[in-house]
Amino acid sequence: MIWLPVLGLIIGAAIGFIANVNIPVAYSSYLSIAILAALDTVLGGVRASLEKSFDATVFLSGFFFNTLLAALLAYIGEQLGVDLYLAAVVAFGVRLFQNIAIVRRVVFGRIGKRHGKEAERAEVEA
Amino acid sequence: MHAERRTRIPWALPFTVVTLILGFMLGLQYRLTSGTRVPAVATSDQEAERLQNEYNALSAQGQALQKELAQLNGQLATYEKQTAGSNASLQAVQQRLEQERILAGTTPVTGPGVTVTLMDGLSTGTNTMDVLTHDWDVRSVINELFTAGAEAVAINNVRVVATTGVFCIGPVVKVNDDRLAPPYVIQAIGDPKTLKATLDMQGGVLDMLRARGVRVTEPQIVQTLTLPAFTGTVQTTDQTG
Repeated sequence: MIWLPVLGLIIGAAIGFIANVNIPVAYSSYLSIAILAALDTVLGGVRASLEKSFDATVFLSGFFFNTLLAALLAYIGEQLGVDLYLAAVVAFGVRLFQNIAIVRRVVFGRIGKRHGKEAERAEVEA
Repeated sequence: MHAERRTRIPWALPFTVVTLILGFMLGLQYRLTSGTRVPAVATSDQEAERLQNEYNALSAQGQALQKELAQLNGQLATYEKQTAGSNASLQAVQQRLEQERILAGTTPVTGPGVTVTLMDGLSTGTNTMDVLTHDWDVRSVINELFTAGAEAVAINNVRVVATTGVFCIGPVVKVNDDRLAPPYVIQAIGDPKTLKATLDMQGGVLDMLRARGVRVTEPQIVQTLTLPAFTGTVQTTDQTG
C-alpha cells in the first residue's frame, strides 16, 4: 500500500519525461512554482497521515488549489513587475522544511517507542 | 482489520493520484531544463591535460610535415632545373617559372635584403593602445616593402604570399595559419638599398610607429637572407577562416 504513491511518482516522472509535451519557456517558471507547491502538499499529506489527521478532501483540494494558486501568483507577479513568485518560494520552502522536520520527529519517535517496547518485553522475558 | 482498511484506502488513493501528477510535472520540468543546460566542455583537469598533450603532439607533427614539404618543394625545383639541361628555350621557361615561384612564395628564397624588428613599447598608463604592435602596423610595413619592390617577405619566418592575411587575434597576430607574438622580425629580399631607403624615409611608416612608442629597430642590410617557402594552401575560393 505504501508503495502505491511511490509507484505513481515513478510512473508520472516516466510519462513526463517520455511524453512529447512541450511547455513554452516563458511558462517554465510557473511549472517550477507549481512543482514546489505540489511537493509541499505531498509532504503535508505524509505528515498528516503520520499524525493520523489525514483528510482526503483537504489533501486533494489543497494540492490543486495550492498548485494553481502558486502558478497564478507567479503570473500576476509577472504582469505587475513584482517578483511575487518569491513569496511562493519562501512560503512553500519554509513549510517544506517544517513538514519534513515533523515527519522526521514522528518517524524517529515511533522507532524509539518500538525499541522501547522490545526492551521491555526482553526484560519481562528475562 | 476492517476499520484499518477503511482508514488506509482513503489516503493511498489520493496520494497516488497526487504523486502521479507531481511526478509528471517533475519529469516534464527535468526534460525541459536539461535540454537548455549547457553541456560541460572540459570535464576535468585530466581531460584538459590529455587534450593539451594531444594538441602539442599534433602541432609538432604538423610543423615537421611542413618542414618536409618545404624541403621537397625545394628538391622539386632542383630536379626541374636539372631536366632543363642545355635546351635554351626550356631553360628560359624554367627561369621564368623559378621567378614566378619566388613571387608566389612556394620556394625558399636566398638573397640580399633587409630586416627590421617591431616590438611592443612600454606602456606608461593610458597609451597602451598606441605602444602595442597591431596587425595594421605589421601590414603597413610589409605593404611598404612590397611597394618598394621586395620579392619575398617573411614575418617571424612565416612567408607572406598573395593570399596571406595579417590579423590580430587577441594578443597575437595571425599570419597565414600561424599565430605570431612580438617581437615581429620582418625580413624582405630585394634590392637592399631601395628597401632600406624606403623604410628610413622621413615621416615614413617606421617613423610613424616610433612616434607612437612602438620599439622599431634600425633596418639592417643583410647580404644573405633565407626565407622559407609558403607551405599552406592557397585559397582560391572566397573562404573565411
